[in-house]
Amino acid sequence: MNAIIFNEVTKNYGKVQGISNVTLTIDSGVTGILGPNGAGKSTTMKVLLGLVRPSIGSVTVNGVNPFDDLELRRKIGFVPEYDCFYEHMSAIDYVSYFLMIHDYDRDESIQMAKDSLIELGMQDSMHRKIRTYSRGMRQKAKVARATAFNPQILVLDEPFQGADPTTRHLLMQKIKAWSDEGKTILISSHILHDVENLTDNIILINNGRVIASGDRHEIRKLMSNIPIQIKVAPVDSNKMRPLLKRMIDESWITAGRVIEDEGEILLETNESNKFYTELPQILEKEKIIVKKIVSEDDSLDSLYSKLVEGKQWN
Amino acid sequence: MELRNIAERFPKLFPMIFRDCSFRLITNKLLWVLVAILMLPCVLGLVVYYEFADDRLSENVDGDTVYYTDDGSLLHENLREMFLDLSQFFGMGFIALLLGIMFSSELISEEYNNKTMQLFRTSPIHPLEILTYRYLSGIITGIILLGLYSTIFYIIVMMGSGIHGIMEELWLLVLVIKIILLSWIGFLSIFCAINVYFERPYLICFIYWLLWEQIVSVQNYQQLTLSHYINSITYDALIDMKWNVNASDYGLVNSNNDTIATDPLLATLVIIFIALLFLFIGSRGIAAKQF
Repeated sequence: MNAIIFNEVTKNYGKVQGISNVTLTIDSGVTGILGPNGAGKSTTMKVLLGLVRPSIGSVTVNGVNPFDDLELRRKIGFVPEYDCFYEHMSAIDYVSYFLMIHDYDRDESIQMAKDSLIELGMQDSMHRKIRTYSRGMRQKAKVARATAFNPQILVLDEPFQGADPTTRHLLMQKIKAWSDEGKTILISSHILHDVENLTDNIILINNGRVIASGDRHEIRKLMSNIPIQIKVAPVDSNKMRPLLKRMIDESWITAGRVIEDEGEILLETNESNKFYTELPQILEKEKIIVKKIVSEDDSLDSLYSKLVEGKQWN
Repeated sequence: MELRNIAERFPKLFPMIFRDCSFRLITNKLLWVLVAILMLPCVLGLVVYYEFADDRLSENVDGDTVYYTDDGSLLHENLREMFLDLSQFFGMGFIALLLGIMFSSELISEEYNNKTMQLFRTSPIHPLEILTYRYLSGIITGIILLGLYSTIFYIIVMMGSGIHGIMEELWLLVLVIKIILLSWIGFLSIFCAINVYFERPYLICFIYWLLWEQIVSVQNYQQLTLSHYINSITYDALIDMKWNVNASDYGLVNSNNDTIATDPLLATLVIIFIALLFLFIGSRGIAAKQF
């Protein structure tokens, strides 16, 4: 178990607040950290990496303070969002350079670097200078550097940025494999779909505060004050308006509207259980056949919109 | 990480870091601009040689050709002063100082700019190792470069006095290289520490040199400057070499005109102490740096 514990952590940069009163526990497996630009995702990662010291509160990783503990750094791999290369080096030199800092000898480092780069599909380009690399190759070189020494904890800041679909797919497969090995992986991404594919375990940050954390389905269930939106599509589009009229008579439906283009009605309710119990009976009684009943409300995208952007009605 | 661990890792880590650092230093364009400036007196020396080579007087002494000036004084004794004067501005003076500032910036500040320092800060390497390996790489590259330059410059200047003159004043070349080494040991550590703490290291390094080393060093408090100790070593060595120099020529006098030169051994120890002190201060800066 690689426990990362944030205990009421606040980080200020002068008068600007990076993160505020963050309390979190991150265990093994993949955890997605989400939020808009400037929300505090990178600051959260920097605090856990020991790159910044909390202004208030404490952070422990495996029970030690990451700011001071050199031994802990042997267990953490970090893929930064930005480029951080020696452009004159080849990927194999770059990765082996950092492996030697991890106390591997020269031959061992070169072999490990080679294995890691080949695993990421860089067998043809690993001897070329980094300055000639595309964005995707650079991304892979960063990931290879961070993972070649088999760290227990991986911190990936926007790892899919600039990656082509093949690279993205490959990285995703690797992240899933590392998670299956029991590593603790913290990943931030602007592409919610990518995070959704990797994990249900998320931390939502906005304005430096953690607004939700945990399993995204559980989070959605707890948000009883925010209505759920459900789309219902009758087979006969002429039935859309009668159905809407019938539904808004129910006390547990708070709003509804017709989406002509899509042949659907969009209903909003605070009582989803009641909705799913009652709707089939109403449809049967009204003799309306539907082809689709769908709620996208517990998708990560929707959750993000509601919690971070404050959107409740599309 | 204990100091013993750092020492154990040195043979493995230093060669690879030195390779990277020296490559970055010698491929820096500013280095070659400064080298071009350094070569100016060499060109001047060659011009002077070809202009006046025929005007020299010579005499054969024990199989050696000894050259004299028009007034009958030994030519190498004139040329050695020219070599030392020019070296004090170029190879061991202002231009070398600019080279030192540039080296420290490439070795430390660029690591911050390229964000590679963040990778080191998340890797199991002690801040003292980060700074010391870069500092040593700078010293070695600088000494090789300036040592080679001084040797070439020495040969060009002294070749007017023939093989005899070159051999006769060889200790002067040794002294110049020794002063370059000690200056770099002291100044580079200060410049590296400045690079750790400040975002505009070029400016701060230059201000430090101008205000502290140039203004304070001519006052009664000059023992607080590195220049005092370097000048003391130069002065003492020239006295040993029977040069006709005064302490005031090197600013080693106080307001009462008393000589305040420091013993060369003590001066060397002080320079080494300053270097270690600033390496420690710099490494604390790296450890405490927040990104």
